[in-house]
Amino acid sequence: MAPTLDFLVNAVPSSLGAYQPVLEEIEAALQSPQCSLAVIGESIEKDPDLTARLLRLGNSSFYGFSTRLTTVTEAISLIGIQQVQDLILASSIVDRFAGVAEDFVSLESFWRHCLACGIGARLIALERRLPKPDKFFVAGLLHDLGRMVLYSQAPQWAQKVFELYRSEPMLLREAEARVLGYDHQQIGEALLRHWKYPLNLVIAVGFHHEPGGPKIAREEAATVHIADHLVNAMEIGSSGERRVPPLHPEAWKMLGLTTEILGPIINGIDEQIEAVQEAFLSKKAQPPPLV
Amino acid sequence: MRVAIDVKNIDNMLLIPSGAELTERHIGILQAWGIAEVEVEVSASAQDADPLSKFQPEVLANWTAEIKSRFWQADETHPVFLELVKLALRRRASKGHSP
Repeated sequence: MAPTLDFLVNAVPSSLGAYQPVLEEIEAALQSPQCSLAVIGESIEKDPDLTARLLRLGNSSFYGFSTRLTTVTEAISLIGIQQVQDLILASSIVDRFAGVAEDFVSLESFWRHCLACGIGARLIALERRLPKPDKFFVAGLLHDLGRMVLYSQAPQWAQKVFELYRSEPMLLREAEARVLGYDHQQIGEALLRHWKYPLNLVIAVGFHHEPGGPKIAREEAATVHIADHLVNAMEIGSSGERRVPPLHPEAWKMLGLTTEILGPIINGIDEQIEAVQEAFLSKKAQPPPLV
Repeated sequence: MRVAIDVKNIDNMLLIPSGAELTERHIGILQAWGIAEVEVEVSASAQDADPLSKFQPEVLANWTAEIKSRFWQADETHPVFLELVKLALRRRASKGHSP
């Protein structure tokens, strides 16, 4: 019998890994009346690897700041505390799956696909001048998290999914639904809900193939859907799917974009992907050279 | 960038002669007359830079068919589909091979 969603969700360790102490310190600092950017910066700087990753991302084309960031406090003041917390959380999730066997897809290709989707979602949000574009990055980054949970926690069932996927013409998501009774969207949604992540993020991940779902995060889901469609079409990494899942025409209409913007968004993903991949995936990120 | 064909207003008055290098001042004139498009010459270097020009039509046709076949149950008349096929083809041509 296929594993239940509850089984998969409970099988993933809930610890935030190496970044848990930093995140707890930031939370505590935010509650304190003496809280300042410098205090939060000092909390992060206790972790040299996290500091290096944050500065690398802050100094990359992802943000495109005109000044060079040399301290975490500068990074927080420009990026924002909430955004930095979100990026650390997202990074901790990526790290949590670092040792997963690569039987179904290479980790490099999997996260390249997810990071590219995150960058694309953020660029779409920027194009539409939406507030807090970084939350779209996190939603894009985590959109296929459910697949990683399946590959890591129930590999024998992932094997059955791929056997069906290879034997008949279909989408990987359809093979998941036929073998398991649910697909990766529902696994990701259940996990993020279990971890008490913001509802908008939960919905965006849970409905990225069917963005006509709950109204509360329809815009987020539609943005991730379009970004995923572009990244699949351009074959930038893969989470296991080799086909391009269908475009949801209503999602396209909802965002009010024009096709002229697709080329520049794809170029933007290409320009940013290496630096973002370096910041999120390098095991021992080195501090960026100071110019 | 050079203007390929004489640009005239609705009264047939010559605004920019063919062969003229397009300048900021010309853009101002075009905006003043509400002219949205002009024909420009494509330089040899721009043609060289077009990655599609390096491949035989049969190769491009095969790639286009391959790219289209990856789209699952797509509406092949949707403008997003048409644009993405074009962009994916250009991407393959820039790399010189399939991904």
